[in-house]
Amino acid sequence: MRNSTTGWLLIAPTLFILFITGFVPFIYVLVVSFFDWNTFAQNPEPTFTGADNFRELVFDKAFLKSIWLTLKFTAFVLISQLVIGLFLARMLLRNVPLKGLFRTIHTLPLMIAPIAVGATWRLLTVPGLGPIPHYLKSWFGIDYILSRFPDQAFATVVIMDIWHWTPLVTLTLMAGLSNLPEEPLEQARIDGASEWRIFWDITLAFLKPVLLTTIFIRLMDALRTVDEVWMLTGGGPGAETRFIGLHIWRVVFPKTDYGYGSAMSLITLYLTIVMCWLLYVAMTGMKENKA
Amino acid sequence: MKRGLFQSTAVTLIFWLCMSALTLLPVWWMFLVSVKSRADLFGKPSFLVDTAKMTWANYAEVLSNPSFQKYMINSLIIATSNAVLVSVLALLAAYAMSRFRLVGRDNIFFWVLTNRMAPPAVFLLPLFLMFTAVKIGDWSLFDSRIGLILLYCVFNLPFAFWLLQGIVDAIPKELDEAAYVDGASTFTVLRTVIFPLARPGLAVTGILTWVFAWNEYLFASTLTSVEARTITTGLAEFVTVTGTNWGQLAAVAMLTLAPAALVLALVQRHIVAGLTFGAVKG
Amino acid sequence: MANERNGFLPIKTNTFDRIFISVVLFIAISLFWMRFVEAYAPLWVAVLLSAVLGQWIIRKG
Repeated sequence: MRNSTTGWLLIAPTLFILFITGFVPFIYVLVVSFFDWNTFAQNPEPTFTGADNFRELVFDKAFLKSIWLTLKFTAFVLISQLVIGLFLARMLLRNVPLKGLFRTIHTLPLMIAPIAVGATWRLLTVPGLGPIPHYLKSWFGIDYILSRFPDQAFATVVIMDIWHWTPLVTLTLMAGLSNLPEEPLEQARIDGASEWRIFWDITLAFLKPVLLTTIFIRLMDALRTVDEVWMLTGGGPGAETRFIGLHIWRVVFPKTDYGYGSAMSLITLYLTIVMCWLLYVAMTGMKENKA
Repeated sequence: MKRGLFQSTAVTLIFWLCMSALTLLPVWWMFLVSVKSRADLFGKPSFLVDTAKMTWANYAEVLSNPSFQKYMINSLIIATSNAVLVSVLALLAAYAMSRFRLVGRDNIFFWVLTNRMAPPAVFLLPLFLMFTAVKIGDWSLFDSRIGLILLYCVFNLPFAFWLLQGIVDAIPKELDEAAYVDGASTFTVLRTVIFPLARPGLAVTGILTWVFAWNEYLFASTLTSVEARTITTGLAEFVTVTGTNWGQLAAVAMLTLAPAALVLALVQRHIVAGLTFGAVKG
Repeated sequence: MANERNGFLPIKTNTFDRIFISVVLFIAISLFWMRFVEAYAPLWVAVLLSAVLGQWIIRKG
């Protein structure tokens, strides 16, 4: 090993930039969340108010609702993407002509800017212009108006997210499936186990690490979804698709109520960390798995 | 093994043809809208190009719009500078991690990666306050391209760092040890040994970080106002300001997603590894 | 990992993990307290409670 001073010099710029852009804002949020600070209020100077911001926060209906919506959205997209992704991964592992091309096409949504994804889906759903409202009306007689029906707006946001992110699940699970050991599978087939049993007991067991990693990453991304939803529904109708990121950015931020906004950001971060941590524990270290 | 009808190649092929159509349909529809004139927008939807009525007017109008030209140039400058900056810094850091004994190595690695995991909306407030506070004379970090170039490091640097770490680790240590024995300095080794060997990896890193920076919206919309706005914020403005000019909105969206779609084939093998922090090899 | 041990918690933990769990619980208890209990008992009771709980987790967890 070489002189470590040179090593520290080489890594220093990276650590410095991340310190400024990642760590300092965190400390800033932490400190400001205990102050009452609104530049447009009568007293524009920060005043220490202890836990008052949090006290107000736990009774804030709009905030609690956006948290609830975010969790609901996350649960919906996670489950549907896992099911669809697993199915697609198995389909993509079959020998089929043009497999490479299908794979590339399937990967496309991952690279598109979230804001452009939102724009794409908005064009599909604008009444009078988009094909979705047109065909729903003429084939099923359903009135499809995003800006009026909350359930439709929510469902559309979920479907958009499925379109956008299922490919990631497909590709990770495909990688996991193609590394499955052949032997236990063959053995089980010889023993006459049904395909379902093989799938549940062997495939899923071997797939577990990849599966959990995928859930972990999708969970993190789903919790911070903002751009697409803003573009598609603007958080509406009312506040029915206003997820937490959107709530902070569009409602709290413009009010310049910095203390309160910081407290809210902090709680959001707290929830994200706790959920990811619980999943991480489930992934790596329940006792009975280690024994 | 016996294969049922459902497992046959023909069914799989048809299935994937349908899936591909489903994936491409929204983008195709957007393209159709972008080549329609305002008068043809509404009415019965058709998924075929009407060549007689097809028009590039939306694109022409958007591309000749001065403020949009500025957005586009800003996006190009910011994404390119950020990709270059990130690739260089991450290569240095990855080399340091791979070849030097650093105290708390694993903790550093973990901390660097957590920076990418945090939800951006949480840091909007402090970043906004920090950015508006930094002022040198008339120049402010708020609404400056430099601000965004530095800020995008927060998600791109951990990613590039991780990606290049694997690549530098794969370069045999004997190569740079031999160069050191010949009396080369660390800088010379980096330039003549590591850089040429890491070039393919650097290219992938550069392309992916470029796309991530190009795609970013939330920070750009909050931390710029006029001068440093990017193409993604320009796209969002179409909805909030003009509202109904769908043709131009579609044209801008097409221009926004075009670069990412163009490099897709080049980097698609690395996307999965990239988006899962290497937990899953694509 | 070094320093890991088997306490009453359902996972193997090192000191850092236990401090982390205590902090997470402290925040959760305080928020819960502010929402439902503070009308009847002041917040410092919650702080005291989480301090005791944290102590217990860090020692025995």
